[in-house]
Amino acid sequence: MAGRYSLDPGQTPRTILRRVLDTVDTRSPRRRRSTQTKRLEEQTPRTLLKNILLTAPESSMMMPDSVMKPVQVPEMVESSRQESSLGSLELQLPEPETPSTLAPGLRATSKRKQRLRLSIFQQEVNQGVSLASEPPGNADASSLASSFNLSFVPPPQSQSVKRPGLARRRPKRQPVDVGALLQDLKNNSLTSALPGDNHRSPVATLPMDEVLEDTQPFSHPSAGGSLSAYRSLPNPSPAGVEGSEGLVRHRMRSAGTGLQHSEYGGSWLGAKLILVNRTGLGTTPLPFSEPQPQLPELREAVGSQEAVEAKEQEGSSGVEDSPGGPASPELSCSTNDLLQAEQPHQFEPPPPSGVAILPSGPLESVPARLPSRTRTAGPRHHQDPYKAGLSHYIKFFSFCTKRPVEKAALGIVEKCLDKYFQHLCNDLEVFSAHAGRKTVKLEDLELLLRRQGLVTDQVSLHVLVERYLPLEYRQLLIPCAFSGNSVFPAQ
Amino acid sequence: MALSTTVSQRIKRKAPRAFLRRTFKQKKPHLRLETGCDLLIHLNCLLFVHRLAEESRTNACESKSKVIKKDHILAAAKLILKKSRG
Repeated sequence: MAGRYSLDPGQTPRTILRRVLDTVDTRSPRRRRSTQTKRLEEQTPRTLLKNILLTAPESSMMMPDSVMKPVQVPEMVESSRQESSLGSLELQLPEPETPSTLAPGLRATSKRKQRLRLSIFQQEVNQGVSLASEPPGNADASSLASSFNLSFVPPPQSQSVKRPGLARRRPKRQPVDVGALLQDLKNNSLTSALPGDNHRSPVATLPMDEVLEDTQPFSHPSAGGSLSAYRSLPNPSPAGVEGSEGLVRHRMRSAGTGLQHSEYGGSWLGAKLILVNRTGLGTTPLPFSEPQPQLPELREAVGSQEAVEAKEQEGSSGVEDSPGGPASPELSCSTNDLLQAEQPHQFEPPPPSGVAILPSGPLESVPARLPSRTRTAGPRHHQDPYKAGLSHYIKFFSFCTKRPVEKAALGIVEKCLDKYFQHLCNDLEVFSAHAGRKTVKLEDLELLLRRQGLVTDQVSLHVLVERYLPLEYRQLLIPCAFSGNSVFPAQ
Repeated sequence: MALSTTVSQRIKRKAPRAFLRRTFKQKKPHLRLETGCDLLIHLNCLLFVHRLAEESRTNACESKSKVIKKDHILAAAKLILKKSRG
């Protein structure tokens, strides 16, 4: 063994390493190696070996995902190297594996060109969104690192800005002129004003019809929404029958699912109008079986439809200036009556009963909703914050029981808490008055806890604090000694 | 303060300090409250609710029902309120 090293007495392990390194250098990218080779003289064999490990490229193939995250480390490694302090280099040594695996990801850029294209694309995307400050370091490595960094910008943000078509934003609505609306209904062919996401959104968002306020024009909870919903419809657009059909289907479904909203009743009527209108344009298969038999009849009725709409304009124009809830039921009433009055012979008996039933549903709900809306305006500021604060403890109660609790039972818990707070304040007042103070202090509370039997000789207050309160509060309550001969909180 | 726990099912651990101070002020406007006191009040509330929950759960177990009902809580509340009088 000793003979092997006696080949050339002038050769030390250091020079051997250097030779290896030089031969390795030719294969790796020049730019990065140049900083390395400069520092060969200063480096120890240990660091040289580490460099060899780093320059051992393409031997440890990593998944690009795992390369991405730790890539932030090599940029630190880079910057530390450029500081040319051996000490910092030494620090990197305890984890030889990560740099060795990271470096191939950095260096072997040529191999990762295909994947990098995606990341470069993403980088461009993200750069459009967020500013990326170039981390200090080599230009190439930092750009790569920053591209990898940028790929971790949360995608939903960039996507939402990048593709505004998918953004969940409510379309702009103006106060609607129903007469003009009906005019537009008559004139324009109804297509979905919203682009393709209208097709997607009805199916996806219908279960949460009240929560989302974006693509569904009828999910607006305010009463003006029913009027404004009409407005958002007839945007002038090229006739797309499928789009209007999708819209009708959407409204039909929405009428079926969300009957408790007035706007659905209004939308249902709007759907009826649209049906009538569209049949004037052309025949399309309709999802509901009821309107289908009416199709041939309704085609004749287009002429009378205009008469209906003229009447509805008059009726609605009288109504439109009174905004808010009372308008919508009246409107739907009027339109319903007009519809039924003008075209009784066209609608077969079942559909009118369906007509009667469906609007009566939302109409009943609307008067029920209206008084609730006005009632809660007054006492809200007294009740709600108090109850909101108590709800915290109620949730804690249901958490502690580990069992399901009835809703009515929670009301009792509320009352109980009310009484408890009353008792608590009284007791604290008594205690502080007994001590001749007007401020409630910690010792009063400690006395209270003791009298309640929560703090005993076995269980002290600090134990309870530690057990139940989170750390930040505990620091505030329990005096703790800090450096510099100080105690916080001061006693 | 980042006091919220990771699991969403657990309740957050932040104390409703402002709510406690406001309630105290409403009930006893002539009194003042010291700094750390509302935390201890919160602790007191937690302990009270904890005792109440335990007692209700015991009552429910005794009547062999899986769900905690009104009467369980009523009976428990009578007892615990009496205990917490101080």
